[in-house]
Amino acid sequence: MSSLLRTVIACLLGFTSATAAALAKHEAKAPQLLPSAPKQVTFNRDIAPIIFHYCAPCHHPGEAGPFPLLTYRDARARARQIAALTSTGFMPPWLPVPQELRFADELRLSDEQIALIQEWVQQGAIEGAAADLPAAPQFAAGWQIGRPDKIIAAEKPYTLPASGSDMYWNFIFRSPVDGTRWVKAIEIRPGDKRVVHHANILVDREQSSRRQEKEPGAGFPGMELKIESETFDPDSHFFFWKPGTVLKPEPEGMAVRLDKNTDLVLNIHLQPSGKPEKIQPSLGLYFTDKPATLFPLLLQMENDQQLDIPPGEKHFVVTDQFTFPVDVDVLAIYPHAHYLGKDLQALAALPDGSRKTLIHIPQWNLNWQAVYRYQEPVPLPKGTTITMRFVYDNSSDNIANPSDPPRRVLAGNRSSDEMAHLWLQVLPHALPGVATDPRMVLQEAMARHNVDKNPADFEAHYNLAAMLLARGAQEGAIEQFEQAVRLRPEDATANNALGASLLAAERSSEAIPYLMAAISAEPSNFDAHYNLANALASQGKFLEAIEHYRVSVRLRPDDANAEANLGGALAEIGNLREAKLHFERALEIDPNHELARENLEQISHASKDPKP
Amino acid sequence: MAHSSFSSRPRATLLSSALTIVVLVLTSTLFPAAQKRALHLDGTPADPFLENAGKPVVLLFVRTDCPISNRYLPLIERISSQYAAKVAFWLVYPGKTASAEKVRQHESDYGYKLHALRDPEHALVLEAQVQVTPEAAVFDAHRRLLYHGRIDNLYEDVGRTRPAATTHELADAIQAALTGKAPPPNTPAVGCYIADLE
Repeated sequence: MSSLLRTVIACLLGFTSATAAALAKHEAKAPQLLPSAPKQVTFNRDIAPIIFHYCAPCHHPGEAGPFPLLTYRDARARARQIAALTSTGFMPPWLPVPQELRFADELRLSDEQIALIQEWVQQGAIEGAAADLPAAPQFAAGWQIGRPDKIIAAEKPYTLPASGSDMYWNFIFRSPVDGTRWVKAIEIRPGDKRVVHHANILVDREQSSRRQEKEPGAGFPGMELKIESETFDPDSHFFFWKPGTVLKPEPEGMAVRLDKNTDLVLNIHLQPSGKPEKIQPSLGLYFTDKPATLFPLLLQMENDQQLDIPPGEKHFVVTDQFTFPVDVDVLAIYPHAHYLGKDLQALAALPDGSRKTLIHIPQWNLNWQAVYRYQEPVPLPKGTTITMRFVYDNSSDNIANPSDPPRRVLAGNRSSDEMAHLWLQVLPHALPGVATDPRMVLQEAMARHNVDKNPADFEAHYNLAAMLLARGAQEGAIEQFEQAVRLRPEDATANNALGASLLAAERSSEAIPYLMAAISAEPSNFDAHYNLANALASQGKFLEAIEHYRVSVRLRPDDANAEANLGGALAEIGNLREAKLHFERALEIDPNHELARENLEQISHASKDPKP
Repeated sequence: MAHSSFSSRPRATLLSSALTIVVLVLTSTLFPAAQKRALHLDGTPADPFLENAGKPVVLLFVRTDCPISNRYLPLIERISSQYAAKVAFWLVYPGKTASAEKVRQHESDYGYKLHALRDPEHALVLEAQVQVTPEAAVFDAHRRLLYHGRIDNLYEDVGRTRPAATTHELADAIQAALTGKAPPPNTPAVGCYIADLE
């Protein structure tokens, strides 16, 4: 009798992610200044086009800007403020410096535009001729791209205190769909936009974040999230909101799968306003009938391991380098550091020797972090090396330094810890003549890179093993799981995975000690009991196997395989009567369970036709 | 002196018109150049110095629609209640656009208990030499301007904040007014330009 082997692939992929914003497309035309004659600058002719394009998207009622900038009167009443904040580059907020690879919806004023505003204010902020005034900008009231197919509101509001430092809160939205739907856009309504600095959705397919809620639906604090996943279902999209975001649906073919058991976790960054604010965000989901045909991937470069910044250090450099094993299109980029981050950049070195700046932010400001989408996808051939280089300032010159006096800072999830992350949304090109999913090739290369970078990183070995196993490279997987177990001998998941891999390689006697170790680390681990039972059964130790199958069935009463295998083991020791019950139960759970059906038929055949 | 009879009353809403006239005459005698007047929310002229004679006076210039100024209101409320017995605190809303109705709404939105004045003509703005909201001005009991500038150094610039302030100029200046010690040097405040309200 054959017994079913289950190989458990568990992938721990930590993700903090986010998508990009998009602001109105047309470029504001900077009027030409006559070089010689001093001319009068007027609001209607010269300033309104700038204000309407660059400022009004946030500075209109209901948006994040603290006051409207829609009319001459509005601008006149803020003239000096506008001149001051545009000259320092604080407004409009746009961190990257100009580069050859353009971002979509760049919100940066030219030097000429900044000078024009200065001149306008110096000349007395004159209104000008009514005929020169361009049409006022129009903004969609309510949902930006029409009524969503589903609207979900946070179950419970969060009340932001009147004062104190910045706050990070996470709301968990339960999936509003019964089956599987494809999502082409999500509009994030973060609550009062005047206090929300940015918001960012993480797809939690295993509902792993719920464990952090003290009471269901209440949400939980925290700046960084780690979402656990047990299958190869990598994050693929950024869903990011920042002030002024204009919603754009995902490109054709890139819808996101939403299942019944998927949670959407909204991570929001709030700044106290001076009075208590009740924040209750909602999400508008837009569906499409077209399932995804293109599968981008969020690749995370990082080097948190290098982060050990001495107090007072002004120029602490962290780097990471990764070479693409396949051709890709880079669609978007999201650099992420906390309050000590100073200069963040990413460069691409192509195989032909050319170099491209992917992003350069010389004055990082966590408050204005954003996902940046490229105007056009950036094609990078196989062999291109991406270098991430982040510089940190842990001196007291850095006024954002959370510690006064500065203290030693390591990597971590709290806002007083640091991070060195660079996310790239890439669309890998299909491999010529090969059916392999190019995302898996990329992920495996990244996993191997992480192992090389940090041989003492448990998760790096574990993830590489999972990737290897997924493509059937059993021996390699076993080796990596062994490394993982060596690093964390008490880890139930790793011991189970190693045991399961050995079992799959028909090395059951080697598998058994690891599976037993998994059980002693976590006695209620279904997978470990089930795999151990299988290992014992394969060695003909049916009585012991039955014991662990029984535990498996108790831990997970709706698992057809466990029932069928329990039946099989019982049949092996001649207990056909009880075996029959378990085969029947397996078929009840899964009417198409072949093994259970065959075995059941065999039993009824045997009972009708007893051997002489 | 006429003003001594109502020095303990913070608001002029209790003033009879006769008394108001007395104050007017008195003021114009003492400060002949000061034609411009700050106003109580009911529209009657206000002189925070006369109404709190003998006490140091702190003016806090704020605006209903300035986010930095709003973010300071809880701190302003805290400091003012801490020193309430010895120092007179007034919130001042510069500019013509801050109507009494807007100020009252702001007061109720943010739940503060300080006495608010309107300063449409920038009479107090000039006397306190302030330029932005939020900005503090601390006068001693003899109406001498000891300090004007930022409340603390939470903001280094617009959009650049510390996790918490490390200097506390307003509190230091109040201490100076009470003890006679040297006040902190005037330090520019970060916020919204009052000049835009001219």
